[in-house]
Amino acid sequence: MPDVLASAQELSYAYPARSRPALTGVSLEIHPGSFTVLAGISGSGKSTLLRALCGLVPHFYGGEVAGELEVGGMSVRDHGPGELAAVCGTVFQDPETQVVMGGVRAELALAVEHRGDAPAAVARAVEEVALALGVAHLLDRRTDTLSGGELQRVAVAAALVHRPTLLLLDEPTSQLDPVAGDELMWLLRRLNEEWGTAVVIADHRLDRCLPAADRVLALRDGAVACDAEPAGFLEWAQGGPLSPPVARLFSLAGLGPLPTTVKDARERLRGAGLAPKPATAAAEAGDVSTARRWGVRRSGPPPAAEARGLWHEIEEGPTALRGLDLRIAPGEKVALMGRNGAGKSTLLRHFKGLAEPTRGRVETAGEVALLLQNPGDYLVHDHAREEAGESALPSAGLAGRGEANPHDLSGGERQRLALEVVLAGGPCALVCLDEPTRGMDTASKSALVDRIAVLAADGAGVIVATHDTEFAAVFADRIVLMGPGVVIADGTPAEVLAGGWHFSTDVARVLGGAEGALTPEAGAAVLARELVT
Amino acid sequence: MPVYRARDSPLHAARAGATTALCAALAFTCAVYSHPLVLLTVILVVVGVGVAARVGAEMARAARLSVPLALLVTLINPLLYAEGNTLLVRGGSFLGRRFDITLEALAAGALAGLRVAGFMMVFGLFSACVDPDDLLRLFRRVSYRSALTASLATRLVPVLARDAMRMGDAARCRPQPPGRLAVARATLSGALERAVDVAAALEVRGYSTAGRPRAARAPWSRHDLRVGVAAALVGAATLTGAVAGVGNVAEYPSFAVALGPAEVALAAALLLGAGLPFAGRAARLGVAHA
Repeated sequence: MPDVLASAQELSYAYPARSRPALTGVSLEIHPGSFTVLAGISGSGKSTLLRALCGLVPHFYGGEVAGELEVGGMSVRDHGPGELAAVCGTVFQDPETQVVMGGVRAELALAVEHRGDAPAAVARAVEEVALALGVAHLLDRRTDTLSGGELQRVAVAAALVHRPTLLLLDEPTSQLDPVAGDELMWLLRRLNEEWGTAVVIADHRLDRCLPAADRVLALRDGAVACDAEPAGFLEWAQGGPLSPPVARLFSLAGLGPLPTTVKDARERLRGAGLAPKPATAAAEAGDVSTARRWGVRRSGPPPAAEARGLWHEIEEGPTALRGLDLRIAPGEKVALMGRNGAGKSTLLRHFKGLAEPTRGRVETAGEVALLLQNPGDYLVHDHAREEAGESALPSAGLAGRGEANPHDLSGGERQRLALEVVLAGGPCALVCLDEPTRGMDTASKSALVDRIAVLAADGAGVIVATHDTEFAAVFADRIVLMGPGVVIADGTPAEVLAGGWHFSTDVARVLGGAEGALTPEAGAAVLARELVT
Repeated sequence: MPVYRARDSPLHAARAGATTALCAALAFTCAVYSHPLVLLTVILVVVGVGVAARVGAEMARAARLSVPLALLVTLINPLLYAEGNTLLVRGGSFLGRRFDITLEALAAGALAGLRVAGFMMVFGLFSACVDPDDLLRLFRRVSYRSALTASLATRLVPVLARDAMRMGDAARCRPQPPGRLAVARATLSGALERAVDVAAALEVRGYSTAGRPRAARAPWSRHDLRVGVAAALVGAATLTGAVAGVGNVAEYPSFAVALGPAEVALAAALLLGAGLPFAGRAARLGVAHA
């Protein structure tokens, strides 16, 4: 096996008809068996670098290239993605568009059939990869019956069926729920450790990737800003938008060295004699939820929106909502959490009037704005200013960029523009957002938190369906946790998230829920008190 | 239309070529005959075979699609053709053309509708029982790229339909819904974006360097053989009947349908032939004892 799988020398690249280069003077080496994380905010060049490594840049996307990039001993200038596919497997963001065939078995066979392998060799390769990646039970399933997580696992298996030595992944977890995302990361870790497959992954959830990584490449404006081991990267990223919550907790508390995992952080705190007293909030959460649903909330001010005994039964399908009661006060910021299929999106659709209750009723105090999961669906014009009007652009962080094509905006910018589109009708009684932080970087999340605060201050109730506990802990003043079609917990973020197991923040896990601290800032304050006493 | 789902049945267990041949033979019967007994027999055979192959729900879905279309054809035919001796309704004149409705034109319309329903039911059976991936594997050696394009279309049409539905919901969420043209343009551009993503995914999986796939030689199973023989029997009965002039129908000027032992024999042959894969112990899946 060669010492270097891929090497770039002063690689620069600009997409066609773009003046600004997407990559500038990138030099790097990828070694066999390594696990490299590409970090960077949206638009920093992570996806472009991955496209260059698999040959799509420049062969598929066109554009101008300078410098050198070799993958598996082949120059990317002379060899296209078809040839480079022998060395590297590639997995993209959206599982829907990278699965080609109708059945999983045929999907896995495709790459080896392209190579011209004999049927027996194809069958063996499919069996081996399916067993190795834990998708053997899916082999006879149709691809249109798979969940997003299953589909992404199949995509990984399809990328690996011909045994490439390098696996490239571009935000593979951004469309998945946290459980499916964690499962995929465990799978990649196992691939790397047991079979020595080199992995290069770009992901915004660095806290999820860093435990597996042995190297982090941080990109800024298309150039390599940091190339270090995880510990070195955390030192470099201190105080910046790329710093994960646990590292930020230590950084704010003035502790060091910065930890990469929750376990690491806990051990270091124990080693330093800092073991905050765990909370008992989990035990109290159930009582709090009952009180809120039937007592406190009923006696409050007139609601911005209210669901009473709401049932939603899907024809020939499961019951999505089972007599749900929920009352949102004006100016209240509510995070609606729960596993996939719990009924979160269905509830938001009822508030907007996109769904008819089977039984029960929904009342709102006025207009309802609903932003569904795919912001791109709202953007139908050629210029950003045509979508929501020139005056709304500053609120979307797009001041002076009215001529930009919405499809050229980053994911976070699109999300904020789409939000302004649904708010363009004037003041709303209720604003509903469905999974707005999927694939969003930290800076975009912060901007969204600020916008939600402004909406709430203007008197709108805001309800956000999200899996992102870190985001919920920052923006919400109430967490509603849904089980299958019902509310199973309802309280303040500290009450619900501090003592949770799955529904909890990294900081709460490190501190054992002490004093209800969920964010790095609150956690650092707790640690500061421990340090003083 | 019904979509393929794996089921425990002889039709699903047989290779794609054999089941396709059986469906093609039934479609051939619909194409050759306009005799009501033969067409009704084909529909009955398709429904029966579908139920036996555990795709009864899919057959019901195909029936829900085909019945309105058959009725439409039945009703349109007498408006277009005024031939026939038996006048049912004397219509007026419009643009110099008389719109009389005759019994013969109505009956001919009913037969045409029956034939359309027969085709649709056969296609429904085919969609529900033949794995498109296996079928495409058959055609890939003939025209790899065309077969893959067909596979992509099969896979992506439902995805694009979901995209369009989502965009419709998004339009309903806007305070000022955009014009239909803008939504249509956005939907089209979304479909193109998806197409580009899929093309990129294919590229990184070696599509551009792909050669002609190697032929797979799988032994013929008893289900392959029985379904293949059933296809041959149905095809042979259809051809023999056509050559012997069985199932004659005269539509104009007077409606006349031949109905004798030959027609009944043909219907019986179709029933028995198509039912062969489900007959006897050998039709059971997994008959071996552990």
